[in-house]
Amino acid sequence: MSAILEIKGLRKQFGGVTALSGVDLAINEGEILGVVGPNGSGKTTLFNVVTGVHKPTAGSVTWKGKDITGIPANQISRNGIGYTFQQAMAFPGLTVFENVQIATEHSAASARTDFAWPTPASLLEFVGIPGLAREKAGILPFGSLRLLGLALALATRPSLLLLDEPAAGLNDRETAALVGLVQQFPGHGISVCVIDHDMKLMQSLCKRLAVLDFGSKIADGPTADVLHDPKVLEVYLGGEL
Amino acid sequence: MIKFASPLRALIPVLVVLLLLALVPLMSPSNRFLSLAISAGINIIALYGLSVLFGQTGILSMGHAALVGVGAYTAALLARDFDIGFWGSIPVAGVMAAIVAAVIGIPSLRVSGHHFVIMTFAFGQLLTIILTNGGEYTGAATGLDMQQPVTMFGIALDPLERFYLLVIAFVTISAVASWAIINSSYGRTLRAIRENEKLAAALGINVGRHKIGAFIVSGVFAGVSGVLLAYFLRHISPGQFASFPSIYLALMVMIGGARLLLGPLAGGILVSFLPEVLNLDPVQSRILYGVCLIAVILFLPNGLIAGIADGWAWLVKVSKRAQASGDAREATR
Repeated sequence: MSAILEIKGLRKQFGGVTALSGVDLAINEGEILGVVGPNGSGKTTLFNVVTGVHKPTAGSVTWKGKDITGIPANQISRNGIGYTFQQAMAFPGLTVFENVQIATEHSAASARTDFAWPTPASLLEFVGIPGLAREKAGILPFGSLRLLGLALALATRPSLLLLDEPAAGLNDRETAALVGLVQQFPGHGISVCVIDHDMKLMQSLCKRLAVLDFGSKIADGPTADVLHDPKVLEVYLGGEL
Repeated sequence: MIKFASPLRALIPVLVVLLLLALVPLMSPSNRFLSLAISAGINIIALYGLSVLFGQTGILSMGHAALVGVGAYTAALLARDFDIGFWGSIPVAGVMAAIVAAVIGIPSLRVSGHHFVIMTFAFGQLLTIILTNGGEYTGAATGLDMQQPVTMFGIALDPLERFYLLVIAFVTISAVASWAIINSSYGRTLRAIRENEKLAAALGINVGRHKIGAFIVSGVFAGVSGVLLAYFLRHISPGQFASFPSIYLALMVMIGGARLLLGPLAGGILVSFLPEVLNLDPVQSRILYGVCLIAVILFLPNGLIAGIADGWAWLVKVSKRAQASGDAREATR
């Protein structure tokens, strides 16, 4: 497997607070990688730095061999990296269809032509909310809103999707539906990196896990090994069981 | 397949209203009425630009009269120094106002929200100061006179009825242009920025560039409106483009509603004619505008037209429900 995205020595400081202290992480082509860690461990900051929301203090991000460190957010999606937010997932005042239409219209001209869901209708069909097309996104129930957020990120025709707590606020049935969707992505040429606390979700979704704690990576490897790593147990459970 | 109502549904009511307004001269209205209607129409042209900026992109400009001023002074200077008439001034003034909008927009749109409002206000004031201190060239505080008549195919358009029809024609063009922008992918991009800047950027939209673009587009409308103003008033001075006219433009677009195509039309007409209808002096009318603005912001945040549309939808729903329950009672009897 070759790395599609390579993060090296990534540091991010907010004033005196170090959110990331030199993280190395590689996302391989065709995998679903999970990044876990307690609150404040730097997971979301990691995404924000990679996606250009924040500029890193030090370190580099390499995308398919090209240095993309610190490029602006709107350039990231043009390069084929899609991402979803924990909050602010959609354009609330616009219809669901318009939401996806906007995202489709802005997929880069150089974007993949072999994409499985080229139209707004096909995207809504895929995530399972075609019936909501005329509704305003602002009135959607939370589960549907998450699915819409996923459709928007997919509409940019990415080769890599970064999902920030995609199952937060979803019930078990909705979570299962989401897992079903995400598991299809590698088959369509979309690598995935997921952030979440929910270990059950991560176990069902990811074969490989990386663990962050206080801005450093403390474990990285096959999911089963990582979950038995004493350092990880210490962080999550305050010691061995 | 997902089907949607045709976008023409938004345009047709506006065209019908404008057609009716074009028939007004047949009722031999007074000159006073026609003058008011012409200034309302000239404002409405600028309002259609503001509706793209404020209604679609969510950016409020409090210095928009300055851009109207750029158009008006461009027309006056072209007429004086280059003997270029009305029709030649229209494109030049549109471009000039667009350039000034870009010059204001590039630094101002680095900040957002309230800060941008203050920046546009400051730039508006700055332009007044520049015009006042422009010496002979801009006519200083006295301003400039317009000598050129407006003609089309050799017909003088100066009589009020004809100038009124000219203004209606320009309002129609502005409304159609605004409608075309709203229903294009460009319009959707602007709405995306209004709704969620962070997500818009994540989807590959260059937020900063499109905000400046929207400001430039609104500047073109303002510039054209300025040319008409200069040719209508025959005399322009810096005070006409200072803070109060800017506030009035913002007031009109808020009262009428910026997102729907009928909004600028309603706002422009209401604000221009209300003091006349209620027979108010300028001080009283300012108080009334203030009260109206507060009422609209509190009760009809999307403007009068959207409020009426919502009220109508509610009535339809209520009457349908009443009918349904009536039918049900009928059936059980």
